[in-house]
Amino acid sequence: MEQPKLTVILVSGEMEKLHAGCLVSSVAAVSGMEVNIFVTMDALKAFRKDVIESKNFKTGEIGQEMLNKNIELYYQLLENAKDMGTCNVYGCAMAMDLMEWKKEDLVDLFDDIIGVTAFLGKAAGSQIVVM
Amino acid sequence: MSEVQITKTIDARGAFCPGPLMELVKTIKRGNVGEVYELLSSDSGSAKDVPEWVNKMGHALVDSKQDGDFWRITVKKMK
Repeated sequence: MEQPKLTVILVSGEMEKLHAGCLVSSVAAVSGMEVNIFVTMDALKAFRKDVIESKNFKTGEIGQEMLNKNIELYYQLLENAKDMGTCNVYGCAMAMDLMEWKKEDLVDLFDDIIGVTAFLGKAAGSQIVVM
Repeated sequence: MSEVQITKTIDARGAFCPGPLMELVKTIKRGNVGEVYELLSSDSGSAKDVPEWVNKMGHALVDSKQDGDFWRITVKKMK
C-alpha cells in the first residue's frame, strides 16, 4: 500500500497557527504518513533565523504561555518530525523572491524553495490542510 | 497481569502534547523488537493519544493507568 500523505500549507505568521500546523504535521509524520509542508507569506518570515534568534514571535494568549512554559516551538516540532518520519518542508519561491530572502536566511529545515506548480505535484492525491 | 520486564522508563512528566509521544517514538525507533517501555506522562491528552498511536503503528499497549497526578503507559515494541 502506498504511504498515506498529508499536505500542510502554512500561511499565517501567528505562532498559534504555525504551532497547530507543525504539531499536526509532526504527529502525522511519526504515524507513518508522508508529510509535505509548503510555507508561504508571513509564515515564511517566522522561519527566518533572525526572527527565531531574537524570539520576535507574533503571539496571542496561548502563544505567550508557550513561551513562558518553554515548550518546543513550531520549528522544533518540525525538527522532530524530520528526524523520525517523512516530513518535507518547502519554502514558497514567490515570497522568497519578493522579499529578496535567501534559503540561508531560513532555519535549516527546508528541503527546497519551489513554486506552487512543483508543490502541487508533490501534494497530488493527498489531503490538504491550510493554516 | 503477569509481571512484565520494563526495558526502559521514559519520564516525560511536565512535557505537553505531543512531547511525551515524541519521546516514546524516539525510544521505540532506536529500540529492539520485544522491548517494553514505560512512559510517565502528566499530560492528560497524551494518555489518550499515546494508546491511539501505539495501536495504529502495530505495537502493543501492555498497560495504561493513572498513578496519582500522572499516567504510566506501558508499551511493547512489536516490529
